[in-house]
Amino acid sequence: MMAFESFLLLLAVCVPLLYPIMALAGGSDKVMRHALPLLPIPALIFVLVAQPGGQLELPWLLNGGLWGMDELRRLFLLLTAVLWTVAGVFAVGYLKVHHLRRFCVFWGLTLAGNLGLTVAVDIASFYSFFALMTFAGYGLVVHEGTEEANRAGRVYLAMAVVGEMAILAGLLLASAAADSQMLSDIPAAIAESPQRDLMIALLIVGFGVKAGLPLLHFWLPMAHPVAPTPASAVLSGAMIKAGLLGWLVTLPFGDISLPVWGTLMVVAGAVASLGAAALGVCQQRPKTVLAYSSISQMGLMVLMVGAALADPQRAPVLLPVIALYTLHHGLAKGSLFLSAGLLLPSARMHRALMWLLVALPGLSLAGLPFTSGALAKLAMKEALAEDKLEFALAGYLSPLMTAGAVATLLLVLRYLWTLTAKLETGRNPPMLLAGWLAASSMSLLAFWWMPWNVEGLVKAPVWLPALYQVWALIWPMLVAVGIAGLTVRVTRSVKQR
Amino acid sequence: MTLNMWMPLFALMTSLMASLVIFVLPEQGYRLRTAVNLGAALVKLGIVAVMVWGVFHGVDYGLSFTMLPGVEFVLKADALSMMFAGLSAVLWFLTTIYAVGYLEDSPNRSRFFGFFSLCVASTMGIALAGNLFTFFLFYEMLTLATYPLVVHRGTEQALRAGRAYVIYTLTGGAVLLLAIAWLQGLVGDLPFREGGHFGDADPALHGSLILIFVLLIAGLGVKAAIFPLHGWLPQAMVAPAPVSALLHAVAVVKAGAFGIVRVVYDIYGIEASAMLGLLEPLAWLAAFTILYGSARALSQVDLKRRLAFSTVSQVSYIILGICLFGPVGATGGLVHLLHQGIMKITLFFCAGNYAETLGIHRIDEMDGAGRRMPGTSLAFTVGAFGMIGAPPLAGFITKWTMGTGALASNMDWVIGVLVLSSLLNAAYFLPILHRLWFREPRGSWPHERQWGRLETSAWLFWPPMLTAAMTVLVGVLASLPFSPLSWAELVVLRAYSS
Repeated sequence: MMAFESFLLLLAVCVPLLYPIMALAGGSDKVMRHALPLLPIPALIFVLVAQPGGQLELPWLLNGGLWGMDELRRLFLLLTAVLWTVAGVFAVGYLKVHHLRRFCVFWGLTLAGNLGLTVAVDIASFYSFFALMTFAGYGLVVHEGTEEANRAGRVYLAMAVVGEMAILAGLLLASAAADSQMLSDIPAAIAESPQRDLMIALLIVGFGVKAGLPLLHFWLPMAHPVAPTPASAVLSGAMIKAGLLGWLVTLPFGDISLPVWGTLMVVAGAVASLGAAALGVCQQRPKTVLAYSSISQMGLMVLMVGAALADPQRAPVLLPVIALYTLHHGLAKGSLFLSAGLLLPSARMHRALMWLLVALPGLSLAGLPFTSGALAKLAMKEALAEDKLEFALAGYLSPLMTAGAVATLLLVLRYLWTLTAKLETGRNPPMLLAGWLAASSMSLLAFWWMPWNVEGLVKAPVWLPALYQVWALIWPMLVAVGIAGLTVRVTRSVKQR
Repeated sequence: MTLNMWMPLFALMTSLMASLVIFVLPEQGYRLRTAVNLGAALVKLGIVAVMVWGVFHGVDYGLSFTMLPGVEFVLKADALSMMFAGLSAVLWFLTTIYAVGYLEDSPNRSRFFGFFSLCVASTMGIALAGNLFTFFLFYEMLTLATYPLVVHRGTEQALRAGRAYVIYTLTGGAVLLLAIAWLQGLVGDLPFREGGHFGDADPALHGSLILIFVLLIAGLGVKAAIFPLHGWLPQAMVAPAPVSALLHAVAVVKAGAFGIVRVVYDIYGIEASAMLGLLEPLAWLAAFTILYGSARALSQVDLKRRLAFSTVSQVSYIILGICLFGPVGATGGLVHLLHQGIMKITLFFCAGNYAETLGIHRIDEMDGAGRRMPGTSLAFTVGAFGMIGAPPLAGFITKWTMGTGALASNMDWVIGVLVLSSLLNAAYFLPILHRLWFREPRGSWPHERQWGRLETSAWLFWPPMLTAAMTVLVGVLASLPFSPLSWAELVVLRAYSS
């Protein structure tokens, strides 16, 4: 890695890491608040200018540090940096004076953890940053200090600590088996180890807590909604993905076929995808609906992870698609969460425009043509095509994905429905509005210039899908709209009686 | 070179002389006493630094003379000595600063600081002792020097704690003496030697050696607070905060643990210990103590008592580490000798700050203290996370190294102990942190005093800040030369190569 890039990388992690010192040194509330969106900027510059493949050696760090960025980490880093930036802008307008400084401290630390774990290549740094993000994230969850927030915080922390311990044990075993302190040596060592299944179980469970795997997800619908809105956005958009990244860099993809683990993960993904949707549509509060939607969307990614575990030949194709899906979902979900903190303008045109911009990232999640979601969904469909997968459950994947698409749109519609009941009319603080607009435009526009790679899975040009593809995307949406419409009518008629 | 011969004695004498001078100084001589205290601590720090450098480069520091026929008084500095001596020198300096602020205008300060220095001189002697007999001398001197510190307040509770302390430690001392005498009678005077003495012991002696080992561990285990010999430690927390800090981090519990390390490595030898089947039971006992101490800590409502049970647990990490037959595990145990000291002293400093500044003693009084005392609370947070073993702090390095060592020795169950203990640590530390940072204060503090410009007296403020910074640095910079981890690796390298 070139000196300039190395410097940027150090800056990217150290700026948010050292920013909390400002609070101790008596930085004014105003400066602290306005510095929030600047914290991820070095990371953003780094991810834009640096070439993947570079590494930075830090031999004095822990057991010998190594940071770097490859193709996979690039997308995760990009998502992290972008989302924290726009959420930071939003936060400037959103935050109240209540414990502002404390919030800023935890914001900086959580961000440092999230960025650090994304670029860490050695085990000790990775685990350090992961833990930093987890523990500092608690400060964001309980920030409001309500009884509900505290309860959510307790559940969050208890599950997170259990997750951390599973990760610790898994990494220890894997590191000893690999006789190495580097993440890149772990997968091969796990594949060959007699304790393979134990290690895989520990890592799946440990990272699964963060990724919201079914039964490990309980903290998620409690914690994401109670956090201040910008924090919810990064929790659900970026931090949840750290668990996914954890799997991608530690599990033995492509080395051996693990049909049992693969099947388990596919089933878990399916359960998450559909079950979370079923629970989510019953929720009353917009942010809770979104939290369930995150679990549901993560379910689809878990499903792809499962397929990649089961079929080593297909894994090299699936991993970039998972990364693409991550990027798409993170940006869209971030924008959706931020919209939950908006006020409605009184002018009619403005109001309509705003609803459109609120709805679009949601429709993107559901795979509306010409959105990032359409691309991600098409790529996923291709990657999981039955005839190319050697895997027992392969035949079920296509209907599952369709059902998932229906579920996704139902959740989005439910979100919009609950939001109409909640949004109040008023003037948005300019920074708040700017943050949300930036998030939406990242999801809807800037996405197309980002360095994702679909490996020729989707025939170009992606913004003009073939007709059969459009139909494949649209009909689940029509089904969802139909179900939603029917539900509303039935509810109304029941109420009238 | 003769200077090298005398260096260990100088290191010992600085504290000893300081102690004598302080005893004769008038009670009111505040400035002079502080100057003597800090001056001696600084001089010792310098001497120890020179010796650390020397030992690293293979210089021989040694001094011995015959006390009785067959009984030698030996002072000697090896890599392991310097570990303990270094810890003692650094933390003594910081604790002295802290104690000066803490005991401001309380009675009997001359007595206090006199014994305080004497206690540190004893730890120096323990670190530099070259054979069991010399070790024993200083080990008992430590008991006598710490008793007046434990009962310093003179309250009913303090006297009771002091009584328990003396009964436990003197009994332990007697058992230790018995074991040493038996060993001496059996094989003569044994200097501490890297690699030990019993690698090729006569099989006829095995029975006696095993029994002696049990006695030695029982004697040393009292101070190291191994279950079921730990009863005195939670009671002794009535001592003033700087005493608790020193007791838990350097002086007493560490002396016990250090003694066990010496016995296993430098008397029996790690291979002979393993061959005699001594390590496995000791490892189980240590593992049980780790979990027992954590479990008991959970139910304590008094902050210092909770910290005391945490010490019971943490010190056994050291024992468990050396029982993992192999260099990596041993490194993990030894490095915890330093790490536990740094982290625990931070926590006790903080507990003292809360008590002196806000009158907080119980955990449920700590609500919202983070806003009132951010520096102290930050230090406490770092110390607590270190104890939990959260990366990248000192405790994580210990846990990671020990875990790797356990796997290398096929003792996979140790991972379970480490994980369970971390969970328990999290369960009793995290609620405190929540109270500090996220609860609103309850109105007024039990007994608040304004103390200068900072959140508390500067004498009390800076020591925990420094040790907290060290907790972070020894973890983050673990791979640098002269870090605790690198030094522990050096000790183990020398022990296993000889």
